[in-house]
Amino acid sequence: MSPDTLAALSIRGIAKRFGSIVAVAGISVDIKLGEICGLTGPNGSGKSTLFDCCTGLQKPSTGRVYAQGLDITGWDMHRIVREARVIRSFQKAVVFRALSVEENLVLCGQMIAFAGMASTFGVGPASRHRVRRLREQAGHLLELVGLSHMRHATAGQISFGQQKLLQFASMLMPEPRVILLDEPMAGVNPILIDRMMENINRANREQGITFVVVEHNLDAMKALCHRLLVLSRGELIADGAPDAVVRDPAVVEAYLAG
Amino acid sequence: MLTDAVVNGITAGSVYALVAVGMTIIFGVLRAINFAHGEFYMLGTFGAWWGIETLDLPYIVSIPLALIIVATIALAVGVLVMKRLIDQPFQIGIVATLGVSLVLQNAVILIFGGAYKMFDGGWIEPVEILGVSLSEQRILIVVAALAIFGLLELVVHRTRFGKTIRAVSQNIEACKVVGVNVPAVVIGTFVLGCTLAALSGVLTAPVTVSLYGGMGTSITVKTFAIIVMGGVGNVSGTLFAAWLLGLMESFVASYLGLQFRDAVAFTALIAVLTFLPGGLFSKRERF
Amino acid sequence: MATMQLHEVNTHGSHIYNNPRHGLRITGFVVLVVALAAAPLVAGEYQLHALIVSMTFLLPALGLNLILGYAGMLSFAQMAFFGIGAYSSALTAMRWGTPFWLNLIIGGLAAGVVAVPLGIPALRLRRYSFVMCTLGFAVIAQTVAKNLVSVTRGDLGLSQVPRPRIALWSGGFEVTGITSYYYLALTLAVLAVVAFLALVSSAAGRYMIAIREDETLAASVGTPTWHYRMIAFALSAVFAGVGGSFYVHYFTVISPTVFDPFYANTVLVIVLGGGVGTVGGVVLGSFLFVAASEALRIAPDLRMIAYGLLLIVIVFACPEGLLPLFMRKLDGLKGRTHVA
Repeated sequence: MSPDTLAALSIRGIAKRFGSIVAVAGISVDIKLGEICGLTGPNGSGKSTLFDCCTGLQKPSTGRVYAQGLDITGWDMHRIVREARVIRSFQKAVVFRALSVEENLVLCGQMIAFAGMASTFGVGPASRHRVRRLREQAGHLLELVGLSHMRHATAGQISFGQQKLLQFASMLMPEPRVILLDEPMAGVNPILIDRMMENINRANREQGITFVVVEHNLDAMKALCHRLLVLSRGELIADGAPDAVVRDPAVVEAYLAG
Repeated sequence: MLTDAVVNGITAGSVYALVAVGMTIIFGVLRAINFAHGEFYMLGTFGAWWGIETLDLPYIVSIPLALIIVATIALAVGVLVMKRLIDQPFQIGIVATLGVSLVLQNAVILIFGGAYKMFDGGWIEPVEILGVSLSEQRILIVVAALAIFGLLELVVHRTRFGKTIRAVSQNIEACKVVGVNVPAVVIGTFVLGCTLAALSGVLTAPVTVSLYGGMGTSITVKTFAIIVMGGVGNVSGTLFAAWLLGLMESFVASYLGLQFRDAVAFTALIAVLTFLPGGLFSKRERF
Repeated sequence: MATMQLHEVNTHGSHIYNNPRHGLRITGFVVLVVALAAAPLVAGEYQLHALIVSMTFLLPALGLNLILGYAGMLSFAQMAFFGIGAYSSALTAMRWGTPFWLNLIIGGLAAGVVAVPLGIPALRLRRYSFVMCTLGFAVIAQTVAKNLVSVTRGDLGLSQVPRPRIALWSGGFEVTGITSYYYLALTLAVLAVVAFLALVSSAAGRYMIAIREDETLAASVGTPTWHYRMIAFALSAVFAGVGGSFYVHYFTVISPTVFDPFYANTVLVIVLGGGVGTVGGVVLGSFLFVAASEALRIAPDLRMIAYGLLLIVIVFACPEGLLPLFMRKLDGLKGRTHVA
């Protein structure tokens, strides 16, 4: 059960129990560097809990998580983001609603630009220069995801689909190695879904970012992912090429029963 | 000295218990802390004092008079303020009830003046029980507290009103869906809770003797400590926590000095919040 | 999950960077400072006193604004920190004759240093528990001030606290006249506002706003949330402590009444009434609610009734406070739409 030090994420025997309820029942899987890996399964199959355990939002009951050989089990979420460059999105909390679109991006980038805590208190020319650089980077990303015209809008006032695009752009700001997306397409209209998939693909191709995507939209998953994992009742029941996995009898049964 | 300390502690604890149980049930339905709770205790005392001093009523008649006055004020506050707190962020509740507390407290000071007043009433003849001498009023306080807690348990578990209160405490959304008049329940509970605080004030006044406009503030803060210790929404836990605080205060006052008494509640509060966030009688954090 | 905020609709504080009205704000600030600097030419002694008191309250109010308006936590410990600053500054000045600038630092540091051990258990708490923990701290601080008679002289309080002595170390001159006090207070207030603006417009300020908006989301973009909540808490205490230091060297007396709810409520009214999460709102609040009521000599009980009614109206009718309301009126007059 030694970790794969080359894997973007190496999950070893992760289990999470709430009292007598088993949410995740000991999952081991390696996410390879550069992969776009889908994670799907019926409601309550443990996808979100597995995500939470890998990103520090919850602590696993047993098992360990490694990011390129670095043991990140039990770390706080902010430390995982900073030191392992593994960043995640949320289904509900999408953007900082009261901040402008641009400020959202600057905020997400400043963990790199202002690495030490003391530097975050600076207001001198050096700090202003760093913020200016972050703004430039933000402007570039907004152009890529197609939100340039909303740069100064308040994030809470743009449409939900646009907020999801903004969330995606924010996650690219700190130059992550691995991005975990929790239902990036839920509640988003079809045009924006296409744009979202295009963005994921581009970030994967051009920046080599590894993606793990939780999503119910199987058509989108088939088009997007190199590999598909299926969870059912806290266990991994299928792992392979998306086309093969969706035809797997165990998967079909899990969905029908679930 | 030991018996005195115990007797004083249980009496004070019973007084606190009556105030705190009102706050607990209000918190249950509204998920809001009532910063004005001690003010209703103070208003109860002032109502009875006013009845005795100005209307020349006997103590026994001034009790219901005070309760009616306080219930009326509570109804007005309930309709004007508390009703609007349903579904509001918790900080709104704190600020709004703090505002109510400022208005009530200073209105009393404005009307009756800020000086201390003497409460002349009640049954303060000492009686001897098992070799301990204590006033009839103290016995009345303890008996009244026990009786009211018994009655509350009955009301909460057996009556329709009690069942509605419990339902709203558990799931306010579901209650709205099935057509429970949530604002009415909130106002009703608020009036009940405040009247209990007032009753506590009226019963205590003959023992504490002096009264003044600002007396409610320390009661409010002690009430916080009690409901945190007892576990929010836990009626019998409230009674035991109140007795415990009364005893601790009484021992501190007897053996360390009276001046440290008022810090006991908050030291206990901070200790409980830090080490036992669910209160003394439960493991779950509910607050 | 993150705590619910009092100011969910208030987006003012978060637009301090790149604010389209940035220029207007600086102009407003400069005009206000110039007007205040000229005030002794027209104002009488009592009006100057009222202005000094309001500028003294501005400091703890800025502190409360930092943790409520920017980091999103309601604390009642603010006046306890004010009192700690006042007592520690008075005691060092009385014992060692320290100069004014050093007293300010001592007052601020003492409050900040006390805030850290309080923050360690308190910041783990959420919602009501945190609020009550801070309230409990204020009660305990008062009990200590009343009973540590050998140091604080108990209920009698300290009197004949030295007036501010402007010197590098020893010697120098003493501030006595009301006009000199006034300029000292004004300088302090301007420095505090500038420091506050610098803080909230820094990267750290941005992290604090992120925590207020959504703590989990903030952590997910790399914010060490606990550290920044602690920093906000300690810095809010420093602001209050410096205010307390000035207060004690102005009034030259201090007693445990400084911990009374009266003062704490005044600070709350300044921040919520003026505009939580804004700097201009807090400045407006301290002049409106402290200077005005001092100058009009409104009795404390009437003032508190007015404050109480104000709090109730504010939270239901305009949770953003008065400043954003005024700004919108101003925009309306100019026929502009308000975007922020």
